[in-house]
Amino acid sequence: MGLTILLLTFCVLVVVGMPVAFAMGLAAASAFWYEGFPMLITFQRATAGVSVFSLLAIPFFVFAGEIMLHGGIAARLVKLAAALVGHLKGGLAMVNIFSSMLFGGISGSAVADISALGSLLIPVMKERGYRPDFAVNVTVTSSIAGIVIPPSHNMIIFAVAAGGGISVSKLFLAGVIPGILMCFCLAVAAYVMSVKHKYPAEPFPGWGEVGRSAADAIPGFITAVIIVGGTLSGIFTVTESGAFGAIYALVLTKFYYRSLTWNAFVLAVTGAVRTTAMVMILIAFASSFAYLLALYQVPSKLSDLLVSISDNPLIILLMINIILLLLGMIMDMAALILICTPIFLPIAKGLGMDPTQFGIMMLVNLGLGLCTPPVGTCLFVGCAVGKIKIEEALKSIWPFYLAILFALILVTYVPAVSLWLPSVLD
Amino acid sequence: MAGQSSRIAMLEAGLDKIRALCIFVASIALVVLIATFGWLVFGRYVLNVTPTWVEQLALLLICYIAFIGAAAGVKENTHLGVSLFRDMMPDTVQKIVIIAIDFTLAAFGAVMFFAGVTLMKFGWDTLLPMLDIPESFRTLAITSCGGLVFLFSGARGMLRLLTFSDWQTVPQDLDT
Repeated sequence: MGLTILLLTFCVLVVVGMPVAFAMGLAAASAFWYEGFPMLITFQRATAGVSVFSLLAIPFFVFAGEIMLHGGIAARLVKLAAALVGHLKGGLAMVNIFSSMLFGGISGSAVADISALGSLLIPVMKERGYRPDFAVNVTVTSSIAGIVIPPSHNMIIFAVAAGGGISVSKLFLAGVIPGILMCFCLAVAAYVMSVKHKYPAEPFPGWGEVGRSAADAIPGFITAVIIVGGTLSGIFTVTESGAFGAIYALVLTKFYYRSLTWNAFVLAVTGAVRTTAMVMILIAFASSFAYLLALYQVPSKLSDLLVSISDNPLIILLMINIILLLLGMIMDMAALILICTPIFLPIAKGLGMDPTQFGIMMLVNLGLGLCTPPVGTCLFVGCAVGKIKIEEALKSIWPFYLAILFALILVTYVPAVSLWLPSVLD
Repeated sequence: MAGQSSRIAMLEAGLDKIRALCIFVASIALVVLIATFGWLVFGRYVLNVTPTWVEQLALLLICYIAFIGAAAGVKENTHLGVSLFRDMMPDTVQKIVIIAIDFTLAAFGAVMFFAGVTLMKFGWDTLLPMLDIPESFRTLAITSCGGLVFLFSGARGMLRLLTFSDWQTVPQDLDT
């Protein structure tokens, strides 16, 4: 009965539009009350849930991403990408995808990626004769590569939701190949569509220009190297790397690039506060919610249910992916990581899947959810930046969905895609 | 009628100032967090002296960023939510549901506030390590959050109820 109260309260509140974080808190408080526990356990656990040392990396990553967004680094990365891949067929689409790979690797945020790169590239793509829906779809779908290319604050959320025991360094390494694979699959889809629609290639600017663009962009890219390299080498903890990376980004954009104004700094700080608070309040109440899910043995009950449908691990993983894809269509990523990890991770472990591989699979899957209606934050932001309707974007997005689904299938069923790099470098 | 409108405008302006103050407090906490953590990294790896108080201060500051920022998020309507199913309802039903959510959230804020006060009482004699201040300073963040959520959500619910026929369900309520 307690479990019914927990889940029913949560579902009803979410369906009527209550913010997910507070719906989790209210559901947990109701269940604690029903079980005869003091309701203040909900808030005690919520406070303890955010007072976790490894979570401190989240505000640092978010702040570094905001500084990159407002400090002019995006334009430099686009210039480098244009010099490197702009001469291919559908050149600007390739530039868009390659820029996302570079920028996403630094900011770790798909929405920041769309805001920064979309506002630069979508208008230029339209001017050069690309269809607006194509320009938006390339921007939106390539942005989700940033979620798995390290550093990514969603990886920290996953590591925390998994209850510790998962190395963030290993997650960072595990995300590299899937991120590149996603970009490659998207580039193939964009190339095929570019050939079909006869989109132009840009002239090659020469190796001198490539060198100059690289020299200009590399200092910005070092932010990612500091965060990832610092963590992987074991010199810094992930939190220290995040802090160092954030301060480096600040100093770089203020004193080297000289592109960070006071207003841009204020925008970056307040933007980081809003994003951090939104994520952390989810983590706070998810902590109470997940405690009750474990108390009611939900993972083992769901595992029994899935095994009663099929005992084939491939089918169970397919079912988990379908459930995540469906949930991703109606709920945002951070909330789903926090709710679904404690439920599905034990099942995946029971099937012999490495938790790190599961984490990457989950991030790719839920990333796709950010591009799917009716609740697709990236799709909404992309359409707003590209000034087109969502229906218009959806008409031609399916080749890009297929590209990401193909990458998701490889991540799910070929462990080496995510685990090879950590096994070599660890 | 004009008197009521001006009172509503004054209330809105007052709430907006409190929201701006919340963002300001959380922003200061973030800047201090980054600055002190930068000092920790510098001290640990360059000076070879670790200022251990920074870690405890950081764990305290993150509570303020999370809870005070989240309270401002309630006023700004920036929390993640699913409005899809509600949007399918008829307009009047949507309005009733939105007001019900406001009051439910306000009630939850009140519960959070009183639970926070109790936690503060429990923690008054326990000191935070390295900082030597009562543990209650940590739970003050969630207590304040509860009070602010009650204020923002309750006031919004009341205003919506008072001006039931004057507001639109779209586009003010873009939750996601």
